[in-house]
Amino acid sequence: MTIEKTLNGTELTVVVSGKLDTTTAPELEDSLKESFEGITRLVLNFENLSYLSSAGLRVLLTSQKVMNKQGEMVIQNVNETINEIFEVTGFVDVLTIE
Amino acid sequence: MITIRHLKKEYANATPLKDVNVEIHKGDVISVIGPSGTGKSTLIRCINLLETPTSGEIFVDGECITDKKCNINKVRQKMGMVFQSFNLFNHMNVIENIMAAPMDLLKKSKQEAYDYGIELLRTVGLADKAFNYPDQLSGGQKQRVAIVRALAMEPEIILLDEPTSALDPTMVGEVQAVIRDLARKGLTLMIVTHEMRFAREIANRVFYMDEGGVYEDGTPEEIFDNPKKEKTIRFIKHLKVFEHLITSKDFDFIGFNTDLEEFGRRNQVAPKTIYRAQSVFEELAVQCVLPKLDKDFKLNVAFEYSQEEETLFMTLKYDGDTFDVRNTPNVISFAIAENASESIEYAEIDEDGFKNLVTVKIK
Repeated sequence: MTIEKTLNGTELTVVVSGKLDTTTAPELEDSLKESFEGITRLVLNFENLSYLSSAGLRVLLTSQKVMNKQGEMVIQNVNETINEIFEVTGFVDVLTIE
Repeated sequence: MITIRHLKKEYANATPLKDVNVEIHKGDVISVIGPSGTGKSTLIRCINLLETPTSGEIFVDGECITDKKCNINKVRQKMGMVFQSFNLFNHMNVIENIMAAPMDLLKKSKQEAYDYGIELLRTVGLADKAFNYPDQLSGGQKQRVAIVRALAMEPEIILLDEPTSALDPTMVGEVQAVIRDLARKGLTLMIVTHEMRFAREIANRVFYMDEGGVYEDGTPEEIFDNPKKEKTIRFIKHLKVFEHLITSKDFDFIGFNTDLEEFGRRNQVAPKTIYRAQSVFEELAVQCVLPKLDKDFKLNVAFEYSQEEETLFMTLKYDGDTFDVRNTPNVISFAIAENASESIEYAEIDEDGFKNLVTVKIK
């Protein structure tokens, strides 16, 4: 998994590529934690995300809770496979997927 | 007729037979099947003492042939042996090859041995080759002569060690026809073979060999249509298997997934199916089962792929308390796994220390 972050004012865009699973989810969690401060809009770009597991979903849920208090979080460019995971777990109702 | 008890054959770096216990009855036609290196040939070579067993006992008609006092030559007269590579004497013609042992060991006269040899050659359609030398014969003809040579000793049982595997495919049929004929005549036969259709059609019993012994013994219908044991099922259904034993919560997850992908590539499993398999493994095994296991645990993961049916199954076996993974409180993981599966079944077991079995058919 690779993480690329771009800060534009108070908007942080994070491009996550590869696999977001049991081993890589803690890395994304740590990376987001250190960037939350002062952010009002968090954009997660999943264009190149090939795999998502429940471990990754938990990181998204935690991030969503943080951003609910200080702004908004959106997920962009979700492919069909990843979207299926959001649907079967009910995360489509919790997350903002564009 | 033949009773084998605790037969073990050990070599310096391998033990093909660990503990074989079987009874062979008069008139049995036994096909011996199984993966390479599981001791099939070693077993029949031990029965006629071409290999000396490391331990255990073999009784032939009540006589213990593994006893040092036993007259081996006398015992061998009761058993004919047919080898993969024919083993005919090239400096003797066909009829001489057939007559040698009956004259030497059964003390038959030259005429008797000749007459019976010709009679037998006629039954396999080779009477006109009696004076030919082995190198003037095709592979199929050589093997038919080798069978006649075994029959000439009027044995009680014939042991055939892959009798058709060295033959050109066009000649397999003629040799199989001869063996089929022997079976019909009521001879006791034991045949090591890789030809499953033949193994099934000719035998009244099938020995599936694995794990150093006769792993499953049954009728052809039982072994080929309804095998009971795990390794027999894998062998009969040509299952490709990827198996891994996990004993630490810090196991190499990335390595496991890489190996699973490689297994998929090697066996032409659809990438989407492997993706789902990885998802099911991660959600059920890593997220639901692992946290429930004690410090010292074992979790066996096996993926079995049938190329014929294009189906992939994952089985998880784990020790510890009884835990039906379908009742996991981790509903998110289970929902993801369920979405990637056709079915998720659970059973309590008691097998090699494992208490729980989860069987998943991957979508």
